[in-house]
Amino acid sequence: MNDVFLPDIACLEKVRDETPDTKTFTLRFRDHPNGNHFHFLPGQFLELSVFGCGEAPFCIASSPTRPGVLETTVRRTGQLTDQLHKLGNGDEVGIRGPFGNGFDVQAARGKDMLFVAGGIGLPPLRSLIWNILDERDCFGKVTILYGARTPHDLVYKDELEVWGKRSDVELLVTVDVAEPNWTGNVGVVPILFSKVSLHPESTLAYVCGPPIMIRFVVRDLLKRGFKEETVISTLERMMQCGIGKCNHCAIGHRYICRDGPVFNYREIAELVE
Amino acid sequence: MKSVPTTCPFCACGCGFYLLANRDGLIGVAPSETHPVSLGRLCARGWSAHEAALWGNRLTQPLVNRDGKLGSVSWVEALDHVGVRVKALLDAGKSIGVLGSARATNEENYLAGKLARVGFQTNNLDFSYHSICGPLLAGIEEVCGEYTPSISLNDIESSQTILLIEGDLAETHPRAASAVMAAVEKGAHLVTIAYTETQLSRLASLILPARPGNEGEVIDGLLAAVMQLGLEDRVAVEAHCEGYDALRGNLEAVKITAEMRQSAEWIARAPRATFLIPPVSGQDTPSRREAGALATLAAVTGHLGRQGSGVLPLLARNNVRGACDMGIAPDRLPGYRLLDDQESQQRLQSLWGRALPMAPGLDAESMLQSVSALIVLADDPAAVLPMGQRAMAALGRIEFLVVLDAFLTPTAQIAHVAMPISSYAETEGTITSIEGRVQKLHVATDPPGEACPGWQVLAELCARFDVEATYSSATDVLSEVGRATTRYARMGQSEDRWGGIGMAKDSNGRKFKLVAAGAPPLTCAEGQHVLVRDGDFDWGRDPLVAFSPTLGRDHQSQQKLFPKGCVEMCKQDADGVGVHPGRPVRLTSIHGDAVVPIRVRTDLKPGVLLVPYAFRDHLANVLGTNSVTAVKVEQA
Amino acid sequence: MVFTLPREGTTKWLEKLLEAGEVIAPVRGPCGDVIFSALRSPSQVLWDFENPLHPPKQFVLPQTDPLVKIKLNGQRHEVEAIYDDAPRTLFNVRSCDVTGIAFLTRMHEAEPADASYLRRVHNLTIISLACTTPCPAGFCVCTDSGPFLGTGYDLQLTDLGGTFLVEVGSKKGEAAMAKAPDLFRRVSDDAVTQRKALEAAARTRFGPETCHFGSAMRRISTGRVPDALWEKMAGWCLECGGCNFVCPTCYCFSVKDLRQNGTWVRCRMWDSCQYAAFTLEASGHNPRAQHKERMKRRFFHKVSAQYYSRDAAVGCVGCGRCIKTCLGSTHMPAVVAAIRKGKWHE
Repeated sequence: MNDVFLPDIACLEKVRDETPDTKTFTLRFRDHPNGNHFHFLPGQFLELSVFGCGEAPFCIASSPTRPGVLETTVRRTGQLTDQLHKLGNGDEVGIRGPFGNGFDVQAARGKDMLFVAGGIGLPPLRSLIWNILDERDCFGKVTILYGARTPHDLVYKDELEVWGKRSDVELLVTVDVAEPNWTGNVGVVPILFSKVSLHPESTLAYVCGPPIMIRFVVRDLLKRGFKEETVISTLERMMQCGIGKCNHCAIGHRYICRDGPVFNYREIAELVE
Repeated sequence: MKSVPTTCPFCACGCGFYLLANRDGLIGVAPSETHPVSLGRLCARGWSAHEAALWGNRLTQPLVNRDGKLGSVSWVEALDHVGVRVKALLDAGKSIGVLGSARATNEENYLAGKLARVGFQTNNLDFSYHSICGPLLAGIEEVCGEYTPSISLNDIESSQTILLIEGDLAETHPRAASAVMAAVEKGAHLVTIAYTETQLSRLASLILPARPGNEGEVIDGLLAAVMQLGLEDRVAVEAHCEGYDALRGNLEAVKITAEMRQSAEWIARAPRATFLIPPVSGQDTPSRREAGALATLAAVTGHLGRQGSGVLPLLARNNVRGACDMGIAPDRLPGYRLLDDQESQQRLQSLWGRALPMAPGLDAESMLQSVSALIVLADDPAAVLPMGQRAMAALGRIEFLVVLDAFLTPTAQIAHVAMPISSYAETEGTITSIEGRVQKLHVATDPPGEACPGWQVLAELCARFDVEATYSSATDVLSEVGRATTRYARMGQSEDRWGGIGMAKDSNGRKFKLVAAGAPPLTCAEGQHVLVRDGDFDWGRDPLVAFSPTLGRDHQSQQKLFPKGCVEMCKQDADGVGVHPGRPVRLTSIHGDAVVPIRVRTDLKPGVLLVPYAFRDHLANVLGTNSVTAVKVEQA
Repeated sequence: MVFTLPREGTTKWLEKLLEAGEVIAPVRGPCGDVIFSALRSPSQVLWDFENPLHPPKQFVLPQTDPLVKIKLNGQRHEVEAIYDDAPRTLFNVRSCDVTGIAFLTRMHEAEPADASYLRRVHNLTIISLACTTPCPAGFCVCTDSGPFLGTGYDLQLTDLGGTFLVEVGSKKGEAAMAKAPDLFRRVSDDAVTQRKALEAAARTRFGPETCHFGSAMRRISTGRVPDALWEKMAGWCLECGGCNFVCPTCYCFSVKDLRQNGTWVRCRMWDSCQYAAFTLEASGHNPRAQHKERMKRRFFHKVSAQYYSRDAAVGCVGCGRCIKTCLGSTHMPAVVAAIRKGKWHE
């Protein structure tokens, strides 16, 4: 019997600015320096306590193939994230988790992987991307399509470069609105589809980003022959407990914190609002 | 764990419940089936009534501003400091004012009034919400001789016809809305006068559309309909009314619609009819005349003075009525008697042992802008007054600002002296509801730190200004109130099991003086729109809501989503200006201009723009001191 | 196992129970309401009473429930779980409330189990008083939660007149009897027959409230309740949250940190799915911004087949409290009837 509301203490080991309003925090458990007790799947999330403010759910952006490193990328949207952004190296936060169902990495083995992300939608997928790249031989083609409003709004800029340079990854990046030094694609994410060859019958598509982007992307994918079960996304809801008891994140009898946040489109279509 | 019965501190309906508390403090609320108003029910605010006192930013120590920072001192130091500084200012001929509060108890307000009138010899005494409700109450008083004829919420439930001038009753007074809904369920006719669609207007048998600020026009229409159709109650008119013929002549030319005719019939034929009216804040005249016309409508249809019928002013906060009854106004005495009322003067003089100051004092807004010293009891004027944030600037210029509050409000933060008092859960005292029901608060938990009951602190302040103020309990203070005004004379003699100790009422049996609402105050030129400040109270900034985690969420979200405020309009108007939701427009009136983003609503008529009361600051330049103004709208 | 307890013996038994911990029972409160309160003396206990409007779930799930204490030691945060394992007895609770607590226990036992809740309930002994005369607003026959129970209690008392029948439901029940063993006698066949007869009679004596969940459940579960009906009903709800707070099976909550004496206390607090802010996200997006959506949500949780199969019960114990506390007119029987008939107020 666990005290499910009791957080572990973690220290901020590194804080990296991604965009003017987004940071990546590297966390290390204070009382379990190896982090060996914290086994998670890509796509799971944690409940992060900013002491004095409260708690909020954030997806885990690092991969379980790299134990001891726990990362989350957070955009500043309200009181708690505001306070979090003011913290620096060595500051303590609380962690509960991991929560949620995560991506089914096993079922993806041998498949081609298509990642389509917009803006702050890349962090939840990054966990899976690095998991795959760390076990590269177990998976087929890897295609990453990523877009943001402007070049400044792209997250993981350094890693995008790393991925782009890899011969076993196809990476295409676009922005809605270019800036003077931008030499890449300009336009919304769906324009990238015409630049890649997709094989729906052997591919799993992972889509994350603003609702409107997801809508267009999914429509496009389904038109191209992807089955609903092979289009996978993460859902977000207001959460409090993270363990399926407070009922804030319930959609019908499904709980985003327990049955999700990862769902395929067939499951999403069946959700009863 | 204990269950302590008490009275609700939020709106003026006067519900009661049990506060649940253990050693560590308040933990929850339990409903009561025996409470005569609540009858087992509570609204969302009531259910979370325990939160703010526990979760809020509390004042726990007396604080004095030294070198620009508030530092804690002992009670004696704080009280002495106030005594010395205020005396010096008074000796130098400077002016002083006192602000009571719609969220303070009767005992606290009474003592604040005594401090002002006896201690400082001034009638600079008011409470922030009074500027909003004063005209409404004056309008009713002009007609009835009595500022609030008493009907109860149960009377609403048993009326056959209800005429509701709709703000958003489901939001402002849920318990009253519950009574209206129960009446409608039983077959009552609900007639609403409104310029937006609200939960209750959707249940109405008839909605009489009104242009904002022109509700009086509709009421005059109903009056005219009553007269033209011969629906007046002849007996009541002969026996109880004055000025019927003049009124009739006045309204001869008024055009009436079929809906007005139907509504007039329902009102006139109903054995019991209730008339509900919220304040329209802003210009004095329209609100006053509108209220008078409504009372007149009730009078000529025989519904004033008839058991189960009457007019109910919908006052926002729990103790507005009590504050009025304690005379917290620059031109009023306890009992809400006029300043020059001989009988009251004599009574108070003999009770207080000193002559009363004769000249009417400054009202709240004027006080803020001109006094050198100000004592503020349980209030955050910028959150309540129509002038909004401009009040903060004015408060900042006051030479010596003293605040008594349970919560560290923005006003307390800029005080020269801040005195921590008990919240409603931590003090004895009484509250007077919208119905006139005087009910008790009971202590459920100890106040934090060195906070003390407000009546004790005010008694100490009184003592420092040679005002007789020896009380061993809040009940002692109330006994004195009973000697200060006949309204409270028989209080406490028979207490019902819920601590309801009587109904505050007075009657003088004089005739009703009939009035019409008169000419609409606002005309719009071609191409202009009407901008109206919607609502009269911002619950989001009230400490009991703002500091409640459960209740404060929506309001905080709204403030965050609209940091520059917003103006609401229908799609047709938005298209007319060529602006999408969220995009800014420039509004220009004779007072000035402002740029705000728009929000589109489906229930507004073309030509009507709303700014929610909570966002009034962003349109202060445009509205001036009015609640309604004509504006030009264009892309920003 | 079944025993009898003479009426005169209850005082002594309660004295013994009081020695072992808190005993909470229905008492006449300060203003005439019947409320659940910790006893100071056995004489306070009511035996013939209308069920308190505030349910006993507050003793396993308080409205403000401190869970974790967070202290700052220099730069170091220390967290500790807040334990409440005080022994308590709930005495003279009704069958509906026993079923309610059993329901809540199943919810909190589900993985991951909530230790805070379970600690309280494991240290709670439930001694119920079967309803030989059903309450006017109750409809527990419609929810299989009364008037008598087969399980869920530690002890079930039935008033036979001069004596009480005592049915043992668990080891905790045995332990409660063992506090005053001399008072209890093995039962005779007559007593059992009498109890069965009382139950049969009680089942015929319900008031006018009924709640036939069957067809409502079918409609709710298959999305066949018209949007327009939810909209109409929502117009008669004042979003007070009262139905959630008085319901023995509602347990929605929020988690907030409270500053108290230089530390932070993380508290679970009752919340209501009827409040607009319940699903309000930090971005300002609200998937249930419309009132009718929230109402639909509530009744899906309470009455759908999907939840029924998860919870092994409807989210209702027929206690009738929502009828009493609803500020509008949208309590369970009214809404279920409207869904069955497809109309509201017509």
